[in-house]
Amino acid sequence: MSVSQSVTSANLAAIADRAARQVPPVWPLASSVAVNPFLGQTGEDLATAGARLARVAASPVTMPRHWFQTKIAAGDITDDDLAAAWARAPLSLRPANLASLKAAAMMESPAPDAVPTVADLASAASGTDWVGLIADRFGGWAAGYFDEGQALWAAPRDRGAYAAWRAVATHDLTPEIAGLSGFSRHVSDAPETALAAIDRAVARLGLTEAMMDTYFHQLLMSLGGWSQYGRYKLWQAELAGSTDATITDMLAIRLIWEEALFDHHAPQISDGWVKACLRHAAPLVATPDQVVNAILQEASERAAQRGLAATLIAARPDISQTRPALQAVFCIDVRSEVFRRALESLHPQIQTLGFAGFFGLTTAHRRFASDVTELRLPVLLNPGLHSHTGGADMALSDQSARVLARAKRAWGRFKLAAVSSFAFVEATGPVYVGKLFADTLGLHGAAARHDDPAPALDPTPNLATRTKVAETVLRAMSLTRNFARLVVIAGHGSTVVNNPHASGLQCGACGGYSGEVNARLLAQLLNDRAVQDGLRSRGIEIPGDTHFLAGLHDTATDGVTLFPQDDPATSHAADIEQARQWFLTAGALTRAERALRLPRASHAAGVSRRGRDWAETRPEWALAGCSAFIAAPRARTSGKDLAGRAFLHDYDWTQDAGFGVLELILTAPVVVASWINLQYYGSTVSPQVFGGGNKLLHNVVGGIGVFEGNGGLLRAGLPWQSVHDGERLAHEPLRLSVCVEAPQQAITDILARHPAVRALFDNGWLYLFTLDGAGTMSARYEGDLEWSDVRAAPDTQMDMPYRIAV
Amino acid sequence: MIFQFLPLLGPAPLLVAAVFGFAAAGPRPRFALAVAEASAVLSMLLALAAAAGLIAGQGLTAAEISSALTGRLDSVSVVMMLLVTFIGWVVVRYSATYLDGEARQGPFTGWLCLTLAAVLFLVTAGNLVQLMLAWIATSLFLHRLLLFYPERVAAQRAARKKFITARMGDIALGVAAFLLILAYGTVDIGAILQDARLGNGGWPAIAAAGCLALAAILKSAQFPTHGWLTEVMEAPTPVSALLHAGVINAGGFLLIRFADVMLLAPGVLAVLVMLGGFTALFGSLVMLTQPAVKTSLAWSTVAQMGFMTLQCGLALFPLALLHIVAHSLYKAHSFLASGGAVDRVAASQRPGPVAIPNARAVGRAFVAALVIYLPVGLLFGLMDKSPQAIALGAMLIFGVAYMLAQGFADAAPRALTRRTAVYALATSIGYFALQTAATWLTRDVLPLTPAPGPLEWALMVLALLSFGLVAIVQAMFPLWAYHPAAAGFRVHLSNGFYANAVFDRMVGGWSARRAS
Repeated sequence: MSVSQSVTSANLAAIADRAARQVPPVWPLASSVAVNPFLGQTGEDLATAGARLARVAASPVTMPRHWFQTKIAAGDITDDDLAAAWARAPLSLRPANLASLKAAAMMESPAPDAVPTVADLASAASGTDWVGLIADRFGGWAAGYFDEGQALWAAPRDRGAYAAWRAVATHDLTPEIAGLSGFSRHVSDAPETALAAIDRAVARLGLTEAMMDTYFHQLLMSLGGWSQYGRYKLWQAELAGSTDATITDMLAIRLIWEEALFDHHAPQISDGWVKACLRHAAPLVATPDQVVNAILQEASERAAQRGLAATLIAARPDISQTRPALQAVFCIDVRSEVFRRALESLHPQIQTLGFAGFFGLTTAHRRFASDVTELRLPVLLNPGLHSHTGGADMALSDQSARVLARAKRAWGRFKLAAVSSFAFVEATGPVYVGKLFADTLGLHGAAARHDDPAPALDPTPNLATRTKVAETVLRAMSLTRNFARLVVIAGHGSTVVNNPHASGLQCGACGGYSGEVNARLLAQLLNDRAVQDGLRSRGIEIPGDTHFLAGLHDTATDGVTLFPQDDPATSHAADIEQARQWFLTAGALTRAERALRLPRASHAAGVSRRGRDWAETRPEWALAGCSAFIAAPRARTSGKDLAGRAFLHDYDWTQDAGFGVLELILTAPVVVASWINLQYYGSTVSPQVFGGGNKLLHNVVGGIGVFEGNGGLLRAGLPWQSVHDGERLAHEPLRLSVCVEAPQQAITDILARHPAVRALFDNGWLYLFTLDGAGTMSARYEGDLEWSDVRAAPDTQMDMPYRIAV
Repeated sequence: MIFQFLPLLGPAPLLVAAVFGFAAAGPRPRFALAVAEASAVLSMLLALAAAAGLIAGQGLTAAEISSALTGRLDSVSVVMMLLVTFIGWVVVRYSATYLDGEARQGPFTGWLCLTLAAVLFLVTAGNLVQLMLAWIATSLFLHRLLLFYPERVAAQRAARKKFITARMGDIALGVAAFLLILAYGTVDIGAILQDARLGNGGWPAIAAAGCLALAAILKSAQFPTHGWLTEVMEAPTPVSALLHAGVINAGGFLLIRFADVMLLAPGVLAVLVMLGGFTALFGSLVMLTQPAVKTSLAWSTVAQMGFMTLQCGLALFPLALLHIVAHSLYKAHSFLASGGAVDRVAASQRPGPVAIPNARAVGRAFVAALVIYLPVGLLFGLMDKSPQAIALGAMLIFGVAYMLAQGFADAAPRALTRRTAVYALATSIGYFALQTAATWLTRDVLPLTPAPGPLEWALMVLALLSFGLVAIVQAMFPLWAYHPAAAGFRVHLSNGFYANAVFDRMVGGWSARRAS
């Protein structure tokens, strides 16, 4: 190895930081939200991202070719779809014509081939599985360091990750027992700071600047979910206005391993290492095969978009303009679509609306008898409000609930602690006969969960602020006139047991918690007469007989819990009772529809029990299948079967002066929806790299994530059981098609102002369409702020310039 | 008469279910799963019938019923049958839902049923040959479950270690059986026990006791052969629960079954006390450091198996049987419910920080535990108990003191103090009541604990001192555990003092060539 080119330390820090930003964050499982696994690659298109992820993680970014081949053979993907997708691919890399594209689709593309790391080379040379051992050792340390309370004796975490790891690694004898002699000494002699350690390793490994980007990215990817958790720490710190070095510390740790293995095996592996370095230094260009994959993916999406367009164009029932019998606001979540359709089918005067399930209230909430602040808001935002459940008048019951919880905790510690665990087993083990019986037969009621007292904003904002919040929310959901007597604000959550990924079934807009707190806060806010008076002066007339009622839609059972006790309204008892009946019936209809998709659910009644079954790995399909986002008045989609695959956001551009609401929708809910959609996409096409693994082997670690099996890498993303039913995929990997009913120019202006959002559309991570006033797809966004008429036949002769500099 | 056949009939439905399981190809073998659960229920009913027969008397004492048909019906085998069939049913039913969609769910169910059937044959064995075959079959069938995902490198690593350990255990049991035949001239377990209770057997019996102890140690993952057990998370969760249906605790069962033989060899029992006691403390300390829920549960199993071995070493066989039952139920449930760990960790943080007791509070807690222990103990006839049982009762004091200490901390509200005191009282009553019941239930089957000699006294004092020390250390835990001086110790402890790493090195556990 020759002497490396000198890289200034500022430069090195910038490169390390760049690599860190290639990695998506992962939230802890207690409050997890979907994250776009390609978050670091949104600046490039699918084929280029494919080239990058193949190099650093051997990850595919599309389904295997036979998946598309089947669809082409079945006629689902037409020649027009293929031609249109082909036309947008880079001229120099795409097949010569449609025929050669179809020929390429018949052959499987070569498996993605990652550049070997030093650990890979050393494993091959020495016959010892260093890759596995590094994962095991790193996971052992990180699990302790990030533990949120599983181990009674937690690992010290009073310093940064790098220093904490060194303290552990200088003591840990495992690597040396496995044959890496002197490793503890090597760690002990390593520089004091992570950056200096990176610097030293770079020199030792002979890296030039050109090699570092993908090599560092690769090392972070080799840590699986752990580096994503480090990225999460950085995300949270930056949101709060500070910074965090965990992920670059992890890079330093991984490099120290590389360095040690290189020192040990240099004679055998240095040739291989030179080759690997050259591959890292090569510019990142998609191979023709990767381009074909991306074309096929886009063709499959165009095929789906034809289907969506056909659904939207279908004749729709006339919506009368008289006062609705019931208005119900739901989350935009695709699961709401099924329920809303069922509910509306019960009575022509039932109107439903869609809005992000935090209902515009970005609250940091403390639950009843709890010290923990839960961020019940989209993770892109900072909290703007504070709330808690149980005010001063409930101090006594708060106190006794805490004592109960603390006694339960003391009992839990008695159960686990050394020595006392023996007394525990001897004295109470047989009690578990009853627990085993009850859990096996699912005898536990799941109802007792939503009996918390009403939450309240604390401190209560002044009237002007409250009024402003109420106005913003109502305008954002385009609900400013024609209020019904009863307006139900329905958040959603999912009641499931024994499921580490339960928070993934909750409301993503509420930060992975169920949505009842936000719904209850909003209903209270809107029932406030003083707020209503203020709204009147701002042009929103809420009739005196309108009552707002909070509810919670349980997506596992499709039951709706109402919270009439929050604002007792005897005048509306009959309306509430009627609504309750409608919700019951709508729930039954929804379950019947869901039963068709769920395995082992031959009848609707079986569906509602799934969440309570402790052995059930598929209590519901959550957002599997999501593929469209529609921002338009509900009238455009009502009565149309969108199969629980569309996010529905109510939006009426004629009421949106200045397009402020449109800007909000495109930059917040659409982005969140794309994170969800791409999480499903990534977990489906690359389950090894971006999926959460096999639920049968999940081993919850630190209360924050799961191992698949004994240990090693944290597994982020959706478990295989969440996207596959054992026989076929439950989620078809399609990037989201966003349909907005708004003037083209307004959308273009917003994209021009938000380059990060625009990149998502320009690089094909999202598709964008406009709808006309009849709800028909009218124009397709082509990138670079250009639009095309959606009904025009694709012109395969025209060579479109490749949109992105590679 | 029919009751004599029940021990043999018990496994039969499961064997039938296994056939259906293996025959079912592809995902969602509904019929095979239905047959499996029905068989599990039927086995459970047969076990209940056996229990009823035993209770009804039928004039069946342990010695009389060991029929020529190799089935053995006594309170030990019936208790084990009930335990195994109950957990078996739970696991079979759980797996039917949990593995839904798995391409090889049929064979999984088949191996599951076969393993359960083998365990039933083991616990009801009336002769050495049946015992031996069932013992070996159990571990071979389990091996297939551990390798349910044969491509998983870590699964191969764990299964390989388990395989080596199990074969060594088989050899030990084989030699033990040979020596027992040599000593007593029969394969009939009832006859052997009867003879042994009279003090017969000579040196072959003592050597046999040593081999039985070795087999038990290897089967029940005693230090340093515990490595595989903390790695079985490579198999689906129900397999971890299944281990507690008489698989991992078969070592304890073996010692209980041959209690009369074991009593002939006080030296062997002394070894069991020391090794079991060490494993118990070692496992429970390592467990404290484990951040992954199933791994932590597995370390807890190591510790509990150590405690079971300790009880056998102290000749407290009825208590060891009670421990097997109590621990199996608890741990099977804990594994199956381990998916709730995220919720549990989050919930534990909500009520605010844990009140940390100081030395004074810990002292008061130990005194209070003793104050609770004495009257409750006297109520249950403490004075009639053997010194060994009384010594073991001290473990209860230590444990209860830990709970009380949390309530006695200065920062703890009064209501919490009261509540922990109630828990402590309830625990003490439960402890003595269950012990009394276990002793009564096995009074005709298991030998009385002999009066301790100097060696036994020394061992008891050693055990009390070491458990007491750990208990005090544990109660004062937060005061010292985060001291920098403890950091290095924590690293070594969390790695189980590298016993497993050495085992891996010896058997090439990290070999890349085998993996690829």
